[in-house]
Amino acid sequence: MRRRYGSALLLVLVGAAILRISAFSELYLRYVQAGLRPYLVVSGAALVLLGVAMAVVRRTEHEHADEDGHGHHGSRTAWLLALPALALLLFPPPALGSYSAEREAAQRAAQGVGTFPALPAGDPVELTVGEFSSRAIYDSGRSLKGRTVKLTGFVTHGDDGTWYVTRLLVSCCAADASAGKVEIRGADALPADTWVTVTGTWHPKGRLGTDAAWPPVLDATTVTRVKQPADPYEKR
Amino acid sequence: MESRRSVVDGVRVAVRALVYAVVGGAALIAIATVASVLGPTLALDLYTPPVAAWWTVFTAITVQGVPFLLLGTVVSAAIGAFVPEKVFSRLLPRNQALAVPVAGAAGVVLPGCECASVPVAGSLMRRGVAPAAALAFLLSAPAINPVVLVATSIAFPGQPEMVLGRLVASLATAVVMGWLWARFGKEEWLRPPQRHAPEARGVKAFGAGLQHDFLHAGGFLVLGAAAAATFNIVVPRSVLDLFTGSAWLSVLLLAVLAVVLCVCSEADAFVAASLSGFSPTARLAFMVVGPMVDLKLIALQAGTFGRAFAVRFSAVTWVVAVVSSVLVGWWLL
Repeated sequence: MRRRYGSALLLVLVGAAILRISAFSELYLRYVQAGLRPYLVVSGAALVLLGVAMAVVRRTEHEHADEDGHGHHGSRTAWLLALPALALLLFPPPALGSYSAEREAAQRAAQGVGTFPALPAGDPVELTVGEFSSRAIYDSGRSLKGRTVKLTGFVTHGDDGTWYVTRLLVSCCAADASAGKVEIRGADALPADTWVTVTGTWHPKGRLGTDAAWPPVLDATTVTRVKQPADPYEKR
Repeated sequence: MESRRSVVDGVRVAVRALVYAVVGGAALIAIATVASVLGPTLALDLYTPPVAAWWTVFTAITVQGVPFLLLGTVVSAAIGAFVPEKVFSRLLPRNQALAVPVAGAAGVVLPGCECASVPVAGSLMRRGVAPAAALAFLLSAPAINPVVLVATSIAFPGQPEMVLGRLVASLATAVVMGWLWARFGKEEWLRPPQRHAPEARGVKAFGAGLQHDFLHAGGFLVLGAAAAATFNIVVPRSVLDLFTGSAWLSVLLLAVLAVVLCVCSEADAFVAASLSGFSPTARLAFMVVGPMVDLKLIALQAGTFGRAFAVRFSAVTWVVAVVSSVLVGWWLL
């Protein structure tokens, strides 16, 4: 049974795991960026179809049943694919959180000081952690001045009681995650990894474009707990 | 007499069965109780944040690799099943020294990351392309295709010399490696990929080739992903800041980092851009080495061409890639 249909079964398993996280849920966002979804759906479906087709071919070709012996060396390594596939089907691993954010020395994207396009209308205006940080550190037009902004991220703690709203930035998959963070003042810290939405105003510090301006600071007016968003990461 | 003995036997069997049932059942109940009480706490104890992060990074690299691996195996199975033997020998120059740069430049046409190029290079060899030319293609395809170059230009806005540097240094490395193989390579290092029925053609052969190649390479992708996730969790990236001071050390350090991080070639430019403390040459080395040598690629190559090949080839490629990025960085950046 395993000899004859093992390969086909493995293909269906991998395909089903990929479909489960991409077509039937948004779990794929914990692992890769949003743009990969169509490719995941297509490959998942293709793998399931291929597996079924190969099983049917196998069934009609009884005489070649023990041909598997040739590919034996390869097929043992292939069973490693069952590990991530079963993990995704049964216990999808969680999104990266404060543990990874604290390990990756948060780095600011290097860019020149300059003017930014005007902020969109709205009070408060909703910004990503990355957008807020680059405007706070590099915007010579100081577009954040006088605006109430709303940031969403998870809580991480610094030394001596400071805390941050943090978001991991991912450009391709979770392996390339790096952290962006905004220091929150004027509100009590929540436990690490709690997802929060913070509204407040920018608290300028340091000279533009220098290390002293980083990490940027937000004077909080309200802090509310929220559910973890479908896409836990920000696109870099 | 006979019936009495059979009754005694029957009783004996029944008693034995009862004892087994009681002892075994008690043992099972004990195990089940202990497991159900201790299991969850033990599982929770083992499922610490680093372990959870390991699983996430491990599945992320695998999930990210599957579509590209499938693309690569579809192309390679199609080459095996539908492209006649003679086509490539007619398209490529007969002279190996010329065929290598042509094959290297042809890497532009495969818009994928490095997972796709290994099976394609394998099928090219099976179709009679000289190994030197196929290897040049293997190295150049993930580094110089348009998707990767566009990603690089987005990651380094206003620095077109970074894109040009990447193109030149990657192509140079691929061609030099092709020539080195043509001159010094030994056939016996290379275990050409085996297939059940090499002569089969048509749709059924396409399906069988696809199934074999995908599963085979997929297993090695998982192996590479596990290694990469382990490094990702064990070595914190803040260690890097210790080395930003020395120009030479930083080039070597980022070249090693590219090997252990296994960032997909379509994303590595963004990672390179975020390593802001390092010199442009070091970042170029990161982007040139990454698509050519990393843990997951070494695993994939070992699976496709054999371990003897993967170790030698990756080691030399790493050296050539570092030298080439230093030269190009000194010239352009």
